[in-house]
Amino acid sequence: MMNSEFDRRDFLKVLGWGGTAVALTGCGNGMVESGKETVVSYVEATDYMIPSVSVYFNSTCAQCDAGCSITGRIREGRVLKLEGNPKSAINRGKTCGLGQAGVQNHYNPDRIRAPLLRTGNTGEAITWEKAYALIDEKLKGVSGNQVAFLTGGMSGHTKVLLGNYMDSLGSKNHFVYEAIGPAVVRAANMKSYGVEMPRFNIDKARVVLSFGADFLGAWVSPVNFSQQYAQFRKGADGHQRGVLVQVESKMTITGANADRWLVVRPGTEGILALGIINVLNKLGVKVSGDIAAAVKAYDKDRVSKDTGVSAEQINKLATLLTERTPSLVLAGTAAEGYAHGSQNAAAINLLNHVLGNVGKTVEAAEVVPFPQMAPVTGNTVALQTLNDGLAAGKYKVLFSYGPNPVFTAPGAMKFKDNMAKADFKVVFAQYLDETALQADLVLPLDSPLEDWGTQVPEYMAGGAQINIQQPLMEKLHAETRGMGDILLTLIKQRRAAEYKPFDDYYGYLRAAVLQNKAALGGAHQPDNDIFWNETLSKGIIKFDGAKQASFSVNAGATGLNLPEPAEIDAQYPFHLIPHVNANLRDGRNTNQPWLQESPDPLTTIVWDSWIEIHPKKAAELGIQEGDIVEVTGKNGSLKVQAYLFPGIHPDAVSIPLGRGHDAMGRYAKGYGVNPFQILDVVYDKQTGELALHETRVKISKTGERVIVVKDEGPVGGNQEGQKIVPEMFTDKVNLSKEI
Amino acid sequence: MSITTLFDNYSEFRHRHPDGDVPHNPYKWAMAIDLDACSGCNACSVACYAENNLPVVGKEKFAHGQVMHWMRIERYWDHDGSEFPERGARYLPMLCQQCEAAPCETVCPVGATNHTPDGLNSQIYNRCIGSRYCSSNCPYKVRYFNWYDYPTTDNVWPAEMNMQLNPDVTVRGKGVMEKCTFCIQRIRGAESDAKTQGRLVRDDGELQTACQQACPTSAISFGNLVDPESRVHKQWRAQQVDLDKHEQVKDQAEGGTDLRGYRIYEWLAPYPSIMYLERVRESEI
Amino acid sequence: MHSFLRFSFLLLGFFVAAISYAADAPPSDPSLLGVDGSAIDKAARARSDTGGSDFYTWWQKYFAESTTEVGPVVKQPIEFPHFRHAGDRDKGGMEINCMYCHTYARRSLVAGIPPVYKCIGCHQSIDEVRNKPRIKKLFEYWDAKKAIPWKKVNDIPDFVRFSHERHIQRFVFQLNRPVQQVCGYCHGDVKTLSVDRREHLLSMGFCVTCHEINHPVTAPGGTPIGNQDYWYSMRKPVEDSSGILKAQGPNDCSVCHK
Repeated sequence: MMNSEFDRRDFLKVLGWGGTAVALTGCGNGMVESGKETVVSYVEATDYMIPSVSVYFNSTCAQCDAGCSITGRIREGRVLKLEGNPKSAINRGKTCGLGQAGVQNHYNPDRIRAPLLRTGNTGEAITWEKAYALIDEKLKGVSGNQVAFLTGGMSGHTKVLLGNYMDSLGSKNHFVYEAIGPAVVRAANMKSYGVEMPRFNIDKARVVLSFGADFLGAWVSPVNFSQQYAQFRKGADGHQRGVLVQVESKMTITGANADRWLVVRPGTEGILALGIINVLNKLGVKVSGDIAAAVKAYDKDRVSKDTGVSAEQINKLATLLTERTPSLVLAGTAAEGYAHGSQNAAAINLLNHVLGNVGKTVEAAEVVPFPQMAPVTGNTVALQTLNDGLAAGKYKVLFSYGPNPVFTAPGAMKFKDNMAKADFKVVFAQYLDETALQADLVLPLDSPLEDWGTQVPEYMAGGAQINIQQPLMEKLHAETRGMGDILLTLIKQRRAAEYKPFDDYYGYLRAAVLQNKAALGGAHQPDNDIFWNETLSKGIIKFDGAKQASFSVNAGATGLNLPEPAEIDAQYPFHLIPHVNANLRDGRNTNQPWLQESPDPLTTIVWDSWIEIHPKKAAELGIQEGDIVEVTGKNGSLKVQAYLFPGIHPDAVSIPLGRGHDAMGRYAKGYGVNPFQILDVVYDKQTGELALHETRVKISKTGERVIVVKDEGPVGGNQEGQKIVPEMFTDKVNLSKEI
Repeated sequence: MSITTLFDNYSEFRHRHPDGDVPHNPYKWAMAIDLDACSGCNACSVACYAENNLPVVGKEKFAHGQVMHWMRIERYWDHDGSEFPERGARYLPMLCQQCEAAPCETVCPVGATNHTPDGLNSQIYNRCIGSRYCSSNCPYKVRYFNWYDYPTTDNVWPAEMNMQLNPDVTVRGKGVMEKCTFCIQRIRGAESDAKTQGRLVRDDGELQTACQQACPTSAISFGNLVDPESRVHKQWRAQQVDLDKHEQVKDQAEGGTDLRGYRIYEWLAPYPSIMYLERVRESEI
Repeated sequence: MHSFLRFSFLLLGFFVAAISYAADAPPSDPSLLGVDGSAIDKAARARSDTGGSDFYTWWQKYFAESTTEVGPVVKQPIEFPHFRHAGDRDKGGMEINCMYCHTYARRSLVAGIPPVYKCIGCHQSIDEVRNKPRIKKLFEYWDAKKAIPWKKVNDIPDFVRFSHERHIQRFVFQLNRPVQQVCGYCHGDVKTLSVDRREHLLSMGFCVTCHEINHPVTAPGGTPIGNQDYWYSMRKPVEDSSGILKAQGPNDCSVCHK
């Protein structure tokens, strides 16, 4: 689309009144008098800059780690709305609510606008020169192993640059931390399939059995899975409509869409999986000797007693799985939640093997032929190691880019106190979140909509691709910087000669892409500028025939050793399930008001936290909706409003994650409570990952009561006998004539 | 305005809807929403906020019921007495149904809401005086009133949030009623582009409403009901739902119907332009 | 007393009806017929001339909405002389087409103000005027790469959607009217001005006067008037009370009110 001789960047510079200044015309509340408003006025304009006509640029969404490709609608130099890029195999032109809110992240009034240096309890604005000089100074005399760099998941050129910077520091202490990542599932997948993240072909499955994998909500790549889900419901290749069965202790949005939602005693998902294999074996499905031996003790009556799922249901489910193939079995919170989560995941993955799904609905994904750009994924072990190191006073200089551990680390880890032990703490952030407030130096970042980069998604949907991130408009604030630019400046402090040819990160990226032009699809294009512009224009580099990742099938049951269901602790009788919902996730996007006002799909509550209690249990405890209850665990307590929710196991309660900020701007601060703070620090025995559902709590009424602010109104989801949302069962409906 | 014009066109101004004798030509905008695909994720609702300059009212005003979501996702339970919702929840995206015989149009004291020739229910903000009679009449309760001055007094879009505002959509002041418009700014834009090229708007993705474009499960189809090539037309045909009937032939049949298409509150005869496809659940489990 | 009042109201009513009817009837004077056989709004005619002394103009001026209200003089950063650039050759102008500079009019909602490089495109080689004060100012902006902060002269409220594209496409490209006549209809005779000044109050009434013209598509008896395809490209012609098919421009509220 852009073949003029204007280099994209020059064009943006030359706009003059273009970009932000221009943007303010027409924003007034209807001044109609002649001579009062200004007109959109440019110095030079390319042929596609037509006032009142939208221009579209492609980039990559950074609201979560899925790596959906977006198309930004730009008018008069400012981005207004984000849509999905139809050419991406990941999101196929769609966006989720989180993606839409990317513009609110970009335009947020609480963004940091200048580097801030701590003086006592305040931050003093300083120049970037001073900031860089300070970092250089603080790193003098500090050895590599005294430096720690904390990030979230990273990929692409920024990851490469960071790796090189750490190298130049002589440091191996790059900690990649994700508070709510599928770390246990990755490890289990590695054991069962030989890869951390295979491709799941939901659209080819006839039955999807999900053990807490909220794939329509916040699990791995929800937009891709939602698209696949739509096709799954229509029935692949003229087959019947797909059937979704969800097994979990607290209903997620995926569970709300299930044909059958099976509530299960917290932690017993693995037992249920083995019970299903037991019944499958009895129904004639061939299993190997060691698997048969492993499941022998898990007959359906025992399993029913342990899990709470009726024997009849287990039978029905097993029968369905034999009749409709292929199926797909997914492990989600069953894996991440418990000290025996790895065992749960192993049992669940075994089901895929037994049902013959491996190679059909669980496949190897393609990889990008640049292993150095491949993503590093995060886990909580990294946080623990960093925390232990900080506690021991091991790190003199701490850098943090991305995660907010002061908010997301369990209070019992005392991360905030340990962080203070580092001599010099630098946080790269867009907002003064809880972690940034503890820093000595805060460096303000560009938003993803005004920055350059490349991204390689962890979950590779159909064919390998590298996502391009390019600015959708000029920088909003003059004194923010892209992380790539910051890393380049930092690395030039140590390896000046090697990085001298690159004026900025844009130059670095461009040079890197052009250097590999042939491999990146540019073999046919002799002109570098045209190839670069075409690449930016498309926003995605696709690889045909990329090599499949190594995929092996481990169908054994060795090492499988599920514990008995946990006893109920009389003092702390409830399992606390901290729920990850699609919009708030780990709290990184809570300061986007559209997301705060977007009703939770299960409870329709907005702007606040809540605790879900099963109505029967609530009746026993005399709790009504709106009662403020005190939730006390071994590591602290919270006060939160109660909500009676039928979609939860009576022995469990659930509080959503993401709210409870006491920093991060006007839209996040002071709303709700933060369950991360009171989590029990229990680890999965095999991987060492934080087990998120192992916290035990007790509930007591405080005597206060509030009105719950929710969208559903007093009717509470009752159709009151009207035909508003009727349903039809598959034996009565005729889907054959549908389009 | 001339009186002659008024007399000449009176029959058109007050034409009874639905208008079988004066069929929509060349456009009649309609929608079909598949409730089996809808996952209740609320992406459509957020996309609508982004596209149409919807104000975020905050917790207190939300509690008063003054939220402005033109598109809302309603969540229903089965209420069949069971202890757990084992069939999941039922999600319903509810938005202005653009009724052909809209109960809101007839009661506006100043004529701020009217029916357009292409089958939409238009809302003209600067004509509205805020009587709220229209929302009182709406059976779906999809009309939202600006109780406060969101742009100025409430400062819902502080700098630089105001740069995100869509210039193609009016930013409403206090005292004005608003509702889903089927993204009329996109419709008019697409119609204009098509007209410059000498053709009608095609059903090839060039015109999508914001909600349709965002929906991760592609549950929403939107298009021209009178274009036989459009997906929406084909869906309404396949489901045997007629725009201008308040009781469908298929529903009168012995034993009911095995087709999924229905409209909400059809028996009240507002002739809504949105057809929903009933949610399906597997009988074998 | 009452009967007198009633009678005078009745008379007034007849007056109004008569005037409005007269305004709609196809003119007998062929000079008031457009290229396609439609009636050009007589009032518009009157406006574009220097007054007109007929009754209709007088009526428009004193009873109907006055649409001849000229806007205030707006001071612009550079006093750009339209008469030099667009003016008639015999008056010292260069007769540059409006759309040479206001180039977006045919493809955008707005006509647009040319970027500075458009001016420089010519002026970089016009040595004779290079040191004139206004040209020097222009080059100051260019050298500093600063956009010229032109003030908006023809402003309409934010709740109105007006598309230049639609009007230029119809009147210039479809009906082949001269560009200055088309632009001048709403913006007046800009080629006689230096900087622009609003010529008409761009009120709803001003727009509606055109949009509500009932163009006869067929004469009584069924003879087609003008290009039938053209009529049918507007709103579908409808029969009026006397059975004549009449075509009208878009007058649905939602076309212009966003």
